[in-house]
Amino acid sequence: MMRETFASRPFWFGLIFVALATVLPLGVSGYILGLLTIAYYTAVFAMSWDLLFGFAGEVNFGPTFLIGLGAYTAGILDARFSPGLSLWICVLAGALAAVIGGVLLALPALRVTGPYFGLITLVAVQLLQSFVVVFASLTGGEIGLSVPDVISIDAGVNYYLAFGFMMVSGAILYGLSRSSIGLILQASGQDAVQAGALGFNVAKHKLAAFIVSAFFSGLAGALMVFYMGTASVGTFVDISVGVQIIIAAVLGGRRTVIGAAIGAVFLIGMGEFLRPLGELATLIVSVMALFVILFFPDGFLGMLRGGARA
Amino acid sequence: MQFWQILIDGFAISALYALGATGFTLIFGVSGVLNLSHGALMVAAAVAAWAAASEFGTGSYLGALIGVLTSLVLAFATYFIAVRPIQNSKRIAEREKEIFILTSTLLWGIIIQEVVAYLFTNNAKTVLPIIEGVVVFLGVRTPSNEFFTAIVCWLVIAVLWLLVNRTKAGKAVLAASMNPRGVTLLGFELSHIYLAVWGVYGILAGIAGVLLGMFLGVSSYSVGPLTASAFSIVVLGGLGSVSGSLIAAYVVGYLETLTAYLVSPAYRSIPALLLLVLVMYLRPQGLFGRR
Amino acid sequence: MTISQQPFGILAGAVAVALGSAMLLPVPAQAADPIRIGVIAEAQSVAGSSIPQAAQLAAEEINAKGGVDGRKVEIITYDNHSSSADSVRAFQRAVNEDKVNAVISSYISEVVLALEPWASRLKTVLITPGAASDVITQNIAKDYDHNKYTFHGYLTSSALAGLVCDAAKDLLVDGLKMKSAVIMSEDAAWTTPLDAAYEKCLPKIGLKVLDHIRFSPDTTDFTPIFNKIEGQKPDVIITGISHVGTQPTVQWKSQQVPIPMLGISSQATNSTFWKDTNGAADGVLFNAVSGPGVAVTPKTLPFVDAFQKKFGNLPSYAGYTSYDEVYYIAEAVHRAGSLNSDKLVAALEKTDYVGTIGRVEFLPKGDPHVHGLRTGKGTITGLMLQWQDGKQVNLWPANVANGKLKFPSFVKTASH
Repeated sequence: MMRETFASRPFWFGLIFVALATVLPLGVSGYILGLLTIAYYTAVFAMSWDLLFGFAGEVNFGPTFLIGLGAYTAGILDARFSPGLSLWICVLAGALAAVIGGVLLALPALRVTGPYFGLITLVAVQLLQSFVVVFASLTGGEIGLSVPDVISIDAGVNYYLAFGFMMVSGAILYGLSRSSIGLILQASGQDAVQAGALGFNVAKHKLAAFIVSAFFSGLAGALMVFYMGTASVGTFVDISVGVQIIIAAVLGGRRTVIGAAIGAVFLIGMGEFLRPLGELATLIVSVMALFVILFFPDGFLGMLRGGARA
Repeated sequence: MQFWQILIDGFAISALYALGATGFTLIFGVSGVLNLSHGALMVAAAVAAWAAASEFGTGSYLGALIGVLTSLVLAFATYFIAVRPIQNSKRIAEREKEIFILTSTLLWGIIIQEVVAYLFTNNAKTVLPIIEGVVVFLGVRTPSNEFFTAIVCWLVIAVLWLLVNRTKAGKAVLAASMNPRGVTLLGFELSHIYLAVWGVYGILAGIAGVLLGMFLGVSSYSVGPLTASAFSIVVLGGLGSVSGSLIAAYVVGYLETLTAYLVSPAYRSIPALLLLVLVMYLRPQGLFGRR
Repeated sequence: MTISQQPFGILAGAVAVALGSAMLLPVPAQAADPIRIGVIAEAQSVAGSSIPQAAQLAAEEINAKGGVDGRKVEIITYDNHSSSADSVRAFQRAVNEDKVNAVISSYISEVVLALEPWASRLKTVLITPGAASDVITQNIAKDYDHNKYTFHGYLTSSALAGLVCDAAKDLLVDGLKMKSAVIMSEDAAWTTPLDAAYEKCLPKIGLKVLDHIRFSPDTTDFTPIFNKIEGQKPDVIITGISHVGTQPTVQWKSQQVPIPMLGISSQATNSTFWKDTNGAADGVLFNAVSGPGVAVTPKTLPFVDAFQKKFGNLPSYAGYTSYDEVYYIAEAVHRAGSLNSDKLVAALEKTDYVGTIGRVEFLPKGDPHVHGLRTGKGTITGLMLQWQDGKQVNLWPANVANGKLKFPSFVKTASH
């Protein structure tokens, strides 16, 4: 398995990517770095989602429920207690809040499946959104929350932080998915009854998947708040943000973790590339995504692998 | 006075919800597809009716017809572009087809929504009502259009019921929803049945969309909430159960109206969402699901 | 955007020298850097699309007259897709990459509030042509030294409420002897100060506030709201709506609510509003900074003509302010004699400029709305327009009115 990994084409593509990404700040403008910073955080969102969907088989329409919890918890804490409370404590608190949210989501997931669970996640997002709007004095409401602190105003620092964070979480999520835990998750996602019959504790593994996924979603959300200096429903909670993440993961290739990251970077980059087209950009990206799903259901990584096999 | 008011308003809005959800649940019952482009179809129908009547001066009847036709064409397009290729695909595992269809119909809905926004901007549109003016009924001044909406919704639902229960083709559809293989043995081509159901669905969604455009108005922002509300009602009633969705539509419609009148319009949708979560925990197959 | 500045500067200098004698402004003979203004706006929305267009028009006019002290005005535009995340990215690019000296941005309060801390961090002047939230100026008052780079180039919510009350007094209280009102506004941060100011100023002009209804901005069914209001029997509904507009207006007409609506209804300022509502807008009264054919100042109509000639449509409200902003930024650069941000802030604070919507002056340090616009007689009064038979007619203030108050038949007013 190890040797196979080293020989595979995706591995070499990956290595080239890492090398390129590391030296990138030397060559390109701060703007491109800013764009990639957002893309890397989005990549973590997508990878976390893939762990839940691709492996545990949970149709989660609400990745933004976890992301939003992390982002808003961190943002609100910082806005309330700014100089007194370190930014990093706020970030950790955000991740923690997301984990609690993950456990809350996991409870129904152990009872219901498929579209039913999908709907619960959808409702969770809507309730979070209502909460943010109704408690406007705390959350900034639909206008958004301004955060007094930011990590850095230097594009390079933000870039390396986001890149490092993506690599570390990617490595952990990927490692997890290739470990026995990932295999059990996959088995239980395909047939929970059979997996249970084989003696695996399905509930425990699913709960673990939710916690890990929530942790990284929340952490990434919180970090992104302190990159942008603002939290708003449109950036962290809205269903359309969740849809983007799902599209990114499916586009890159489900059940690969790495594919989700590729899909996210591609989506953000494409959106920027097509920006001169204005409002048509979303349309074109959606058409491309639909095309990929219909004709290359295994996503970009599937295309790469297919090429390697042939 | 307020009692009658809530009764009348709740009835009209619920009827609209019921019609919107009926098509959605029909498609699920027969072909197992949850069509997440549902809201986009409704909005496209309403905006087409608005554009025909207001921009091109066709008048409200022809405008409404154009709206319904738009939805019909889009329903077939949904089936041929976003659903059938995945159902027939050999490269997608059977158990993954559900999530693929969810994703592809979602994308298809976004595409329709973007085209509508590109052609007619994001601003909300209202379709010129077929009947204008108000009636005073039980001491409540109500727009005639509200009665018209409720009546049309129930007429359409009644016609649908007759089609399904009293015609041969309808019975085949009903059979298909229970056992697809059995229908093929009876000499019906399954793909024909699917086509027919998508056609009926397109007409239902179109009528619901145009009526919504006349009653409350729509914008391309309505796409998400409309899909979500149809989805919630259908799950609440029990997936695939038409009568369940009708009852659920009234439960949600009245719950919203009561909240809006008695508590505050700002909290309108929250109790229905909480009810949905509660039902999911206690009775995951929905109120009338036959799982 | 990376034109080498040397040849450009020399060219500009040469032009300036050639034209120098014919100009009123003293022109230094040496080459000067251009004034770069970044415009971050919502290209796909009706209100936002006018912002970069109007700014471009102003820059071309200034440059056609030789620029400012030999400096040309350059406009660099960015589409923010109505998203604050995209706006932050665009702002970073504008400052770090395109080296702009000032940024004009957005009609959405959410976007401006997201950019405000970045204006402080990157020490770059930020002016909004259309956002209304009072929080923007409150932030400046709270921490002036940090946040002084932001200017509020449009009216704050509380200022808007004051203008609505002024108009309501003349039109409704004095004109129609009205005595009571219900406030109806969408639940949003910009309406919180608006409603507070309404509650304060309406009783002062003689309108008793019977109730105050706030509804969610995603409301689609307004039946319960209108029924509740009708039950209170007010003489007028005072509105504060922006995210919604078409739907309440259409339902107001279809239910034949017999009470007139007056106040802020942002969507009603769009020229397409009549069609979007199938004519239900008839009789709706709304505050605006400009109206078709209304010469608020001598600059208003020439601007509208030039805009229409160049872009084929009418400017939105944020177009007027954006056009003015380019002019007074250029003027401030002239007075500061420098592109340095701190000097530019000091010069902008001394702005006294007659633009297209009135006389522009910023409130001084120490005021709770520091860097907000001064309003009232002699500065900016706004207008009160009414939709009548497919046209926007101005009713207030009287000296620039071009029509009379007129309601559809289902609306009952005391004097009828």
